[in-house]
Amino acid sequence: MNQKATTKTTYHIPIGPIHPALKEPVYFEFELAGERIVDVNVKLGHVHRGIEWAGMRRNPIQVLYLAERICGICSYCHPAAFALAVEAAADIQVPERAEYLRVIQGELERICSHMLWAGVAAHEIGFDTVLYLTWQIRERALDLTEYLTGNRVTKAIMMIGGIRRDITSDMLPRIKKDMLYFKDNFEKLRHVFLDDKTVKMRSQGAGILTKDDAIKLCAVGPTTRASGVKKDVRVGESYFAYGDLDMKCITPKDLTGTVNGDVYDRIIQRLLEVKQAIELIEECIDKMPSGDIVAEPKIPKLLSQLKKTNGEGVGRHEAPRGEVIHYVKLDGKSECPYTWKVRAPTYNNILPWIPMLMGEQIADIPIVAASTDPCMSCTNRVAVVSSGRKYELTKEQLHNLSIEKTRRLMK
Amino acid sequence: MTKKKLTPEEVVKYLKDEFKTKIKDVKIVKRKSGSKKNESKYIWMKVDKSVFKQAIKHLCKLQFPHLAVASGNDLDKTIELIYHFTLNYDQRLDEIVLNISVELPKSDPTIDTISDIIPGALITEREKMEMLGVKIDGIPDDRRVFVPEDIPVGVYPWRKDKTGPDKFYKNLHEVKK
Amino acid sequence: MRFSMLPSVFAQMFKKPWTNKFPAKYTPSNTTQFLKDVSEGKAEIIPPVQTPNGFRGKIKYDKEKCIGCKLCLKVCPCEAIEFKPKEKKIKIYLARCCFCSQCNDICPTNCLSMSDEFLLAGADPYSKDLIVE
Repeated sequence: MNQKATTKTTYHIPIGPIHPALKEPVYFEFELAGERIVDVNVKLGHVHRGIEWAGMRRNPIQVLYLAERICGICSYCHPAAFALAVEAAADIQVPERAEYLRVIQGELERICSHMLWAGVAAHEIGFDTVLYLTWQIRERALDLTEYLTGNRVTKAIMMIGGIRRDITSDMLPRIKKDMLYFKDNFEKLRHVFLDDKTVKMRSQGAGILTKDDAIKLCAVGPTTRASGVKKDVRVGESYFAYGDLDMKCITPKDLTGTVNGDVYDRIIQRLLEVKQAIELIEECIDKMPSGDIVAEPKIPKLLSQLKKTNGEGVGRHEAPRGEVIHYVKLDGKSECPYTWKVRAPTYNNILPWIPMLMGEQIADIPIVAASTDPCMSCTNRVAVVSSGRKYELTKEQLHNLSIEKTRRLMK
Repeated sequence: MTKKKLTPEEVVKYLKDEFKTKIKDVKIVKRKSGSKKNESKYIWMKVDKSVFKQAIKHLCKLQFPHLAVASGNDLDKTIELIYHFTLNYDQRLDEIVLNISVELPKSDPTIDTISDIIPGALITEREKMEMLGVKIDGIPDDRRVFVPEDIPVGVYPWRKDKTGPDKFYKNLHEVKK
Repeated sequence: MRFSMLPSVFAQMFKKPWTNKFPAKYTPSNTTQFLKDVSEGKAEIIPPVQTPNGFRGKIKYDKEKCIGCKLCLKVCPCEAIEFKPKEKKIKIYLARCCFCSQCNDICPTNCLSMSDEFLLAGADPYSKDLIVE
C-alpha cells in the first residue's frame, strides 16, 4: 500500500460485502491515514431476504420453522423468541417441565456457539491449533444435540406452548457424562486463551468499547457485558425457568478484577459464560419437575385458538450473541400474523463497531470485528483505492497481514 | 446504573403527571413463568405524536432506557410505530418492558428523530423510513439500510395498501407437479 | 507461556483421529460401479457414523393407515406435500422437505415416521427416489 511522498492524503478502503472474518456480508468504508483508521462508514442489507414479509403469509406453526432458518448458528433463539411472543399475545401458559427443558436446549446451543466463536477468533490471530481444539470440543456438543433433538443444527424442537421432545431418564447419563467432559476441557481452554502470551499481546488494548458508548449505542450481549454494563435478559426478565435458577450477570470483573472493554475482555466474557451454561444445565437436570411438555398437544385445536386471538406480544430471549426480540400482532380474522418484526442481536452491535475501530490498524480489523461475534460467515475481497490506482487484497492477504502482525509482535 | 428500583406503576405515574391526556390506553400486563411463578412486566401505552420527543426526553431523566427496536404496523388509515424500551435492566427479575406506540396519519407520516438523545436508534429509524414510508425529521443519515437499490423509492414493503411490494416478488418455489 | 498447546498436540500423536475415515481407501474411478459392487458384496465400504435414535431422516409413509384428512398439508412449512384427490392419499416431494417432522406430530393415525436414511443426494429433484407416495 503506497502513500504519496509529498502530501499526506487519507485514502478510502471499501471492505465488503463479502470480506474477511466479518461473518455477515456488511459493507464498510474505512478512511485511513497511513495504517490507522480515521473514519468508518457502515452499510447493511446484503442478505435481506424478506423473511418478515414471508411470515405474514403463513400460519404460526409454519412461521416457527421459517424463523429457525433466519440464522444457522442461533437457530434455537429465533423460534424461542417467536413462541414467547405468540404465547404473550394469546395468553398461553406453558407447563413447568417444558420451561426447564427449554432452558437446557438454549444453554446447550450457547455452548456450541461460543466454542465456534472461540475457534474463529483464534484463527483470526493465526493460532490454528486452538481452532482444532475448540471445534473438537464443539463436535461433542453437536453430537449431544443430535441425540436430544434429531439434528445437529436445525433443531426443530420449539413448539408454541411447550417443546416437542422430552428428555427421558435414560438420556440423563449421557448428558451428565458430556457435561463432565466439557468441565475437564474448560480448564485446558482457559489456560490456552487467558495465559498465552500471543493471545494477550494481540488482544489487550485492541478494539476498546467504553461503558458510556455501550449504553448510548444500545449494544447487547457479551459485547456490552465485557464493557461492564450488566445487561442480560436472563437476569432481568423471568422467562422460561430462569427465574428459579441461581443466575447472575457475569462481567470480566469476576475473573480479572478490572474491566477494559477490549478484545481480551470479550474472550474472558465468553469463556465464563460457557462455564455458567454448564452449571445451569446441571442445575436444571437436578431441579426438573415432572409433567406435560406442551400446553396443547392437539395441534389443530391450537391453530384454531390462535386464529381467534386478537392481541400483540413481545418475546425476548438471550441468544449467544445478545438479546433477540420478536414482536407479533395477531388479529382475530386470519390465521397468519398481521405483523411480525424480528430484531437479531447483531443489528444492535453494528453501531459499536465505529468507536471500536477508530484509531486501530488494518491488521486489527479481523480480530476486532470477530470479537463482537457477528452472525454468518463469508469469503471476502478488499479493494484498495489509492490515488486512482486500484489493486485488490484477497482474504488470504488480509488474513496474512493479521498473522504477520502477530509474528512482528512476537519478536 | 440505577439506584432505586422502579415499579411499572411508578413509571406510568411519572409520565402521566407530565403529559396528562396525551398518554392514552395504558395497560400493565404481568405474566408468570417457572415453578416459582415470578412475574415479567410489560407496559403498553399510546402517546400523542406532538409530545413524543418530549416524553422520551422526560423518560431519559428518570432512567436511561435501552431501546430494543421500533416495530411498525399498517392499520388502514394510519401507521402505528411501536418503540420497545426496557428499564431496570440490571436488577434481578425486575426488568420492565415499556412499549410506546405512536400513531401517524398516512397523509402526513412524519415524526421527530430520537437519535440525538439515544444514538443507538439510528439504524432502526432508517429501517422504518424505508419499510413504511415514515419521514423522520432531523435524522443525520437517511440512506437505505436493508432494502436493495433496485426496488424503486415509492414502494414500502410492510404496507398492505397499493404501495406494497406485491409486484416485485416472484413465486420461485412453485413445484412443477 | 508461549507453547501452551504443545502438550495436547503431542498427545494427539498417540490418539485415534477424531474424524471418521473416508468410505473407500482410494477414490474409485467409477463411483456408481463401486456402489453397485458394495451392494453385491464385492467391495467393502467404511460405514458412516451411526445416527442416534430419533434421527430425522427420510420420511416413511404407511399408505394403508392414511385417511386423507389433509392436516399434514396445512402444517408443512415447505409445502412439500401434495394431495391426490382421487385416491385420497398424499405425495411427498423430498426435494422440498426440510425434515422437520411436523407432519408426523399432527397426523391422527400415525402413518408417517422418520427413518435414519440420510444419503439422499441426487441430480434430479423429481426422480423416483425423492418422491414418497
